[in-house]
Amino acid sequence: MAALRSTRSRLLGSARPAFRLSAAAPVRGFAQLADAAQESATASGEPAKLKTFQIYRWNPDKPTEKPKMQNYTLDLNKTGPMVLDALIRIKNELDPTLTFRRSCREGICGSCAMNINGTNTLACLCRIPAEDSADLKIYPLPHTYVVKDLVPDLTQFYKQYKSIKPYLQRDTPSPDGKEYRQSKADRKKLDGLYECILCACCSTSCPSYWWNSEEYLGPAILLQSYRWLIDSRDERTAQRKDALNNSMSLYRCHTILNCTRTCPKGLNPGLAIAEIKKEMAFSA
Amino acid sequence: MASIARSALLRQATAAPLTRQSVIAGSVRAAAFHTTSRRSLLPPLPQRVEGTVNDPAPVPEPSPSHGSYHWSFDRLVAASLIPLTITPFAAGSLNPTLDAVLCATLLIHSHTGFQNIIVDYIPKKRTPRARKIFTWGLNAATVVVGLALYEFETTDVGLTEAVKRVWTA
Repeated sequence: MAALRSTRSRLLGSARPAFRLSAAAPVRGFAQLADAAQESATASGEPAKLKTFQIYRWNPDKPTEKPKMQNYTLDLNKTGPMVLDALIRIKNELDPTLTFRRSCREGICGSCAMNINGTNTLACLCRIPAEDSADLKIYPLPHTYVVKDLVPDLTQFYKQYKSIKPYLQRDTPSPDGKEYRQSKADRKKLDGLYECILCACCSTSCPSYWWNSEEYLGPAILLQSYRWLIDSRDERTAQRKDALNNSMSLYRCHTILNCTRTCPKGLNPGLAIAEIKKEMAFSA
Repeated sequence: MASIARSALLRQATAAPLTRQSVIAGSVRAAAFHTTSRRSLLPPLPQRVEGTVNDPAPVPEPSPSHGSYHWSFDRLVAASLIPLTITPFAAGSLNPTLDAVLCATLLIHSHTGFQNIIVDYIPKKRTPRARKIFTWGLNAATVVVGLALYEFETTDVGLTEAVKRVWTA
């Protein structure tokens, strides 16, 4: 086939991409990285629905450069409905240096927790607001050390999770040597607690946790504390309560309830913390 | 060849030259109105991980007097203030003992309230000296206010009567 083509058309064919590359270079030089929206509009016939995403960028390889917001414009007709779809599309098609965590894209892994339009949420569960034309602003989780772009450092969060011993602690074996059984009522107590995916949205939305994250455990870890405190199979309830019985670990919670408002899974860490406080007030 | 062109493109893409000029110019002009000052009160420290990343965060020694007892005491005092403030006005009579109890409860309530603020905002780990100064400052203030209330109760009209006279609505 190629041999049938005239020399002239072959020259043109090779020249066109080269020309487009050089034309695209200055456009990419701007912070505004735009979708090829006009082309798609003429091709499919429907008008392009353009949306600009302002995304926090910081590169650890250039520590002297300040963090900045970078704009990316996408055509929503060619993008999935969720913010994570848009992020993946930006990374695939516009800027491969954009860094963020994601895994399951269905709200069960908790990797893509970030601050979208001022609310901590999972990018995979957050719809792109198509009606309003305002830019969508995406930041990493607030008051965390940033590893790169939208990736926060959750080391302290995981260390705190480890400190509450999030596993079943028992001394007596089960009577029949089989699994530890639980009544239906006891199992029901764990509903609304076991669903937590530890995405850290609630903890990083809590002002108390912002100021005292070294010592205060934060809503997510306290929700898990409560999950092990009320588990009927666990036998170290007293030790677990003792670990919380100081001025910092639990009692820095001032019932601000940002945690409950922001939880992308619809859980209620504020209620769990209140239950712990109630239990400690009447038993200890 | 392609990879070289690509990296150059990326470098340009992240450089953001056009908007930067205008953004910086605007920010300098508006600097006086910024809510965050240039010299922040407690600038963020570099991250320091205690132990290794796999060690659990240290668990403090249990001390109920700073934990559950303190919390229950706080709520009891706060709850008891409601009847204490209403009773003298509802009863219509002035009882010096009730007045003294009200003053003492108010004093304790405000002391623990300020204590909470200090524990929240002046971290012991980061600013041990400031923490000490503020804690003892609060203790001194509580003693001074306590003495003043005692004087007011014994030599003047007392708290409830003063509120009654000032509040002429």
